[in-house]
Amino acid sequence: MNNKSDILVGIDLAKTYGELAVVKGVSLAIREGEFVSLVGKSGCGKTTLLSILSGLEHPTRGQAFLNGKEITGASEDELALFRRENVGFIFQSFNLIPTLSAWENVALPLFPIQMSEAERRRRATELLDQMELAHRLEHLPAALSGGEKQRVAIARALINHPKIVFADEPTGNLDTATGDAIMAILNGLHRKQGMTILMVTHESELAKTADRVLHMQDGEVLS
Amino acid sequence: MNLRYVFKELTHQKRRTVISVLGLSIGIALFVILNALSLAYHEAARAPLKEVGADITVQRPGNVPQELAGAVFPCSAVTIDEEEIEDIKAIPGIRGMGKAVLLWIFDPNRAWIVLGIEQNNPVGPSILKNFITAGCYLETGKPEVLVETAYARQFGIRLGDHVNVAGRSYPVVGLIDASHASKIAVANLYLPLAEVQSIAAASKNLQSVSPFAGGDANLLFIRADQDRITTVAASVKAILGGKATVATPESFLKLLGSLFALSDKFTLAASIIAMIIAILIAFKTMAGNVAERAREIGVMKAVGWTHRNVTMQLLAESVIQGFAAGLLGLLIAQAAAVALGFMTVNIPIPWEMSPTPHFLPGGGDPLFKTLRLPVHIPWSLAAFALLLSVIIGGLTGALLGRHISKIKPSEVLRHE
Ligand SMILES: Nc1ncnc2c1ncn2[C@@H]1O[C@H](COP(=O)(O)OP(=O)(O)O)[C@@H](O)[C@H]1O
Ligand SMILES: [Mg+2]
Repeated sequence: MNNKSDILVGIDLAKTYGELAVVKGVSLAIREGEFVSLVGKSGCGKTTLLSILSGLEHPTRGQAFLNGKEITGASEDELALFRRENVGFIFQSFNLIPTLSAWENVALPLFPIQMSEAERRRRATELLDQMELAHRLEHLPAALSGGEKQRVAIARALINHPKIVFADEPTGNLDTATGDAIMAILNGLHRKQGMTILMVTHESELAKTADRVLHMQDGEVLS
Repeated sequence: MNLRYVFKELTHQKRRTVISVLGLSIGIALFVILNALSLAYHEAARAPLKEVGADITVQRPGNVPQELAGAVFPCSAVTIDEEEIEDIKAIPGIRGMGKAVLLWIFDPNRAWIVLGIEQNNPVGPSILKNFITAGCYLETGKPEVLVETAYARQFGIRLGDHVNVAGRSYPVVGLIDASHASKIAVANLYLPLAEVQSIAAASKNLQSVSPFAGGDANLLFIRADQDRITTVAASVKAILGGKATVATPESFLKLLGSLFALSDKFTLAASIIAMIIAILIAFKTMAGNVAERAREIGVMKAVGWTHRNVTMQLLAESVIQGFAAGLLGLLIAQAAAVALGFMTVNIPIPWEMSPTPHFLPGGGDPLFKTLRLPVHIPWSLAAFALLLSVIIGGLTGALLGRHISKIKPSEVLRHE
């Protein structure tokens, strides 16, 4: 199962909160460069599964391998460092730091890394430029539209040159047109830069744009 | 730790920053001003004795002859004999000593308060040198007299006149304004010690109640190591007996009766309360800060900040706030110190220490040494307060580490 080109592998992953089984024995593999969407009804356990696969949470049972490393069982700090090197995140609610400007938000993952301020700024500016936000570098999140916020968040997800980007309902807080624009950016990343993406959504219409669609229902991924 | 982020966080969350800095700074200011006030009262209490160049004055109360005639001792200061003086001199911690003889002299047509002084001993009333208003100071070895200006005016005594005291005649070489000098051991006439000693020794009336020999005295002035004043005072009492009047800065502090003067414990307790309030305010706002920023901290962790990275970041914020609060607190305290410096204190001088017969003008009036409260903030106190403030900032930051570690990075995935 642990194929050479598989960048993300989950084996029999399960998560329970007290009595509540949220993820029930999920196994899956994602190849490098793949754009996979995980679709299912609200509350079926998609976010929980994503947090386990991305190393944000420990599963109750099972193993997960990301870029060849077993992330289940690693300590919180090991996982933090691992995420810093390998993972990018895009969230439904953007999660920008309200006191930092657009470029500083993009550079946030670089703050703990020994690097000159100028270099951080250069890299952040380059990505914001790609997101067509070159004119918004110094704006605070409060001064940005929803779509702009999400584009800043995408730039932040890319700043550490991740092996894989996890996106949890990236268009959930946006209107259809803006959501489509964000999807176009994600598709572009995948097609032009070969970015591996795991996207979680409850909208099957959005899920369809991916290479492969995984259906989740009641804590299980249907094959 | 990223300073840019620290700075942005503190300046963008103005309300939060202002509350925590102000809260802590008020605590620090209270702490500083309480201690400065306590120091000021201690310093004020030293003033009366400092004016006679001493840290301690010593007297022994005794009996007054039935008939007030000729030279007598006031009841508050009778003979301290030469042997006792030598014993006292030998007490460890004493750096200098002066002696004097204070007499009430009742001549047929006049009563005098006469003080015999060692002209050149810096410990004791030789400070009077600086208060000569006319003529000159006593020359060593010469039987001359200085007259207090008010007294001289009242009785028409002039420079160059001779005054007759206990049957001896002395030329008036100087007038002295003692009202600006010490309030302790104030007299109408100032004579060389040897003269007054021999007047006392020759007085039968005096000898009948307290035998007095040529080398004896009835007032002692002691300069001592600052940290040994209390033990020296106790040793003096041990030599002269429990009834001896031993005045120290501490005894004046007690007379002052201020809460700050009365006990260091009060200052300590009040300081601690001020600090605890300051710490609670600082902690509460910073804990609120962490709670409010749970999601933000989750984001930092999710994008790869370790627990240590996050903690250092918040620690830097709280240390900088602590430093700012310390500076502001010192500023507030300095302003308060200037304002409090306009306060005057009246230090009561016990009658015993400046005995005036009740039937003389001003006799029996309560006597006060009045001075501006010397409130100032010593550098050491300022530095300590600043350090304390930074430490409080750091401590609250460090204590919040536990809260921080409880925040899970997966927090960020939860959608409202
Ligand atoms: N930390 C948690 N504690 C308890 N229950 C949780 C926790 N996180 C998620 N759940 C529950 O698990 C279920 C699945 O949640 P989630 O994975 O967020 O679903 P989805 O993302 O598919 O909407 C929900 O019923 C949710 O209430
Ligand atoms: Mg979800």
